[in-house]
Amino acid sequence: MKIHISKGHDIRIAGTPKRDIISIGTPKKAAIKPMDFRGVKPKLLVKEQDNVKRGQPLFVDKRNPDVSFASPGCGTVSAIQYGPRRSIETIEISLEGDDAVQYEPVRFHDIAGLDRETVKSKILNAGLWPIIKQRPFNGIADPHAYPKAIFISGYNSAPLTVDLDLALSEQSGPFQAGLDVLRTLTDGNVHLSVSEGSISETMTNADNVKIHYVNGPHPAGNVGIHIHHVDPLNPGEAVWTVAAQHVVTLGSLFTSGDYDPSAIFSIGGPWVKHPIHIKGITGMQVTELLKDRLEDGPARIISGDVLTGTEIMPEGFIGFYDTTVSVIPDSDEREFIGLLKPGSSDSRYSLTNAFVSSNSDSFRFTNQTSGSKRPMVPIDAWEKVLPMEIFPNSLYRAILAGDFDEMEGLGLLECDEEDFALCSFACPSKIDVGAVIRQGLDMMDKED
Amino acid sequence: MKFLHTMIEKVRPSFEDGGSLEKFYPIFEATETFLFSTAEKTKSGPHIRDSIDIKRVMILVVIALIPCYIFGAFNIGVQSGIAHGVERTPFQNFIFGMGVILPIIAVTFITGGFWEILFAVTRKHDIYEGFLVTCTLIPLVMPPTIPLWQVSFATTFGIVIGKEIFGGVGYNIFNPALVARAFIFFSHPTHISGEKVWVSAPDGFSGATALAVPAAVENGHAVSLLHSITQFDFSWWNMVIGSIPGSIGETNKILILFGAVFLMITGIASWRIMAGAVIGLTGTAILTNIMAPLSSNTMLSLPAHYHLVMGGFMFGVAFMATEPVTSAHTNKGRWIYGMFIGSLTVIIRSINPAYPEGTMLAILLMNAFAPLIDYFVIQSHMKKRRMRYAK
Repeated sequence: MKIHISKGHDIRIAGTPKRDIISIGTPKKAAIKPMDFRGVKPKLLVKEQDNVKRGQPLFVDKRNPDVSFASPGCGTVSAIQYGPRRSIETIEISLEGDDAVQYEPVRFHDIAGLDRETVKSKILNAGLWPIIKQRPFNGIADPHAYPKAIFISGYNSAPLTVDLDLALSEQSGPFQAGLDVLRTLTDGNVHLSVSEGSISETMTNADNVKIHYVNGPHPAGNVGIHIHHVDPLNPGEAVWTVAAQHVVTLGSLFTSGDYDPSAIFSIGGPWVKHPIHIKGITGMQVTELLKDRLEDGPARIISGDVLTGTEIMPEGFIGFYDTTVSVIPDSDEREFIGLLKPGSSDSRYSLTNAFVSSNSDSFRFTNQTSGSKRPMVPIDAWEKVLPMEIFPNSLYRAILAGDFDEMEGLGLLECDEEDFALCSFACPSKIDVGAVIRQGLDMMDKED
Repeated sequence: MKFLHTMIEKVRPSFEDGGSLEKFYPIFEATETFLFSTAEKTKSGPHIRDSIDIKRVMILVVIALIPCYIFGAFNIGVQSGIAHGVERTPFQNFIFGMGVILPIIAVTFITGGFWEILFAVTRKHDIYEGFLVTCTLIPLVMPPTIPLWQVSFATTFGIVIGKEIFGGVGYNIFNPALVARAFIFFSHPTHISGEKVWVSAPDGFSGATALAVPAAVENGHAVSLLHSITQFDFSWWNMVIGSIPGSIGETNKILILFGAVFLMITGIASWRIMAGAVIGLTGTAILTNIMAPLSSNTMLSLPAHYHLVMGGFMFGVAFMATEPVTSAHTNKGRWIYGMFIGSLTVIIRSINPAYPEGTMLAILLMNAFAPLIDYFVIQSHMKKRRMRYAK
């Protein structure tokens, strides 16, 4: 099936990662951050100075003790950092050696024949269940749920993200194995969406899945948009989603019998010299990825893309679900009577035509809001970048009013904050629409 | 500009929390962010933002209105010249008009600014730029002879009752500039309607607007009546060019069209509302034309293309009906809202000769109904979704 997306926008931000993968040697530190997993209450299984193997569970979710979280490497637990109210922020591992927890490998051709319960318990035991996420609410999948379909996006459309054609180019074996694994978990379809221009044989030749070809601007690559256009969620239903590179991780768990945390990361943004793709491991320290790649001066380092990522410290760790590190300048610059100036291509970037010659090919964005927060003035800035049959404006107000019937009626359960990130980007009132969508989802989640 | 910047930073502490002037922080903030773009930073994702902000949006609307001011000043001079029977150069006309307009602008902005600052200070929020647009619109919809104390009263009413009591910009139901005009229209009708107010002229001079001409006669033919007026040139083309008596900013239709296109290109005004209004007006005018032979009402015979260029229709539709906050918020709703405005304009103009100017009332009425229109659009959307759920 073809999915054509017309609403949206590809932000032309400077520092697009080159289509090349480099290696930077073995990482020295990695961490897992329980905050990356929404709604999880961690119960630690290790303490500081413990030796851990790659794949060994570091903590479990108190509410759902079946779900454990595997260590991304072998070494010692060098630090456990706590945040406000004794919440665990990071479990840091100093990597050394390569001992791994070993499971019985399954032959490639036997995977498809496995039954759902075997597959499920194998993933749960290996501490990799968090790879599978569930909509609505976009949390870790409920192992007891029966998803009506599983969606994988093979197309990253957000700015500066990993080129999946490139990242999966030599992974066709484990990728197909991962798809076969997922196939056993649902009675419905496994959907893989790829960019219409994809040249990836790994993806376009995949078996046992429904392949959808997507074209259009961001958020055309977001899995939420694909669900909306292919098989939209109705109340009471669930679909699972898995990131494309995590499909490879799942596949190699079955074929080789251990957890391989390696992934391809994209490093980009206006503050990055030589933006590129780097081979690393999940949760690694960004210092190693960014070494000798940053311009001098204050910068904001983001784990994830510039629209939905999380700010981290220069010695912080990349998030579990993130494969992008974006760096933008931290700017204090103020322009004199900027509001009266017609605007030029190096000082303004806008989706609107409110400036003369904005929108250069590679704009050097900073972390400034370029305006103050104001009450909503509905000039359709949100609607123009949201390729869903949703009234964002009405939904926003239903959430603020706490009107559950209207939230559900307007399709909140089909939404996720990441699909609304462009709305916040484009909003002239500088409203964080995604945060409000999340607030609504949390309200609905609690109500259930 | 370094000097200005250091100066601002020097006085900043006295306006911030604990400073001697902390109450007046909104004034400081407004001055500061007018002079220098804000240095606010994003707190979480999205970490980068579009350059557009509400300040820019509002300034663009003001820019779109400036040509109307320039022509308005010129036209006041021309009309007054006709009334006094004096010959002036275009430049003299402009200067004469500016002499009439500037005090009105000054009074509007002083009054409007006062209320905006008062509410911002007491509510402890930034000064919102919306009042700039409101205050730019108010003089344009006033007759040139309006007494200044009434301008001040009307601005107060428009901003306080039309906007602030609902919570300010973004929460108001009615367009504040139209509320201001309606206030005078109902409280002091002799100063904003009738024959004596449209031209700065000696006492006793009477010069009706074009709309009053067919409204005053029974069993006539609207177009030939207009052409029979010798005092002013009420031909279709001259009404487009706008060399006729009227409110300050609404006479030149070409400049209004220019502003409307500008607002459409910059994405601020909804083209759906404007298109809907023109369709509504045309459709209803055709209907009244068909009914004209059955009635003694001359207004019914006024053709659509005359309705379009007479009175404040184009000005109201381009700059007031499209105000994003008080219009319908859904695209389907905008079509309906626009069509009703066009249609009601013709109905009010034709059926009620006491109110020859229907656009203002049509827009205000539809402002009140816009949320209802949206309600139906959203309910039908929700119903469609429920049908899908049920499958």
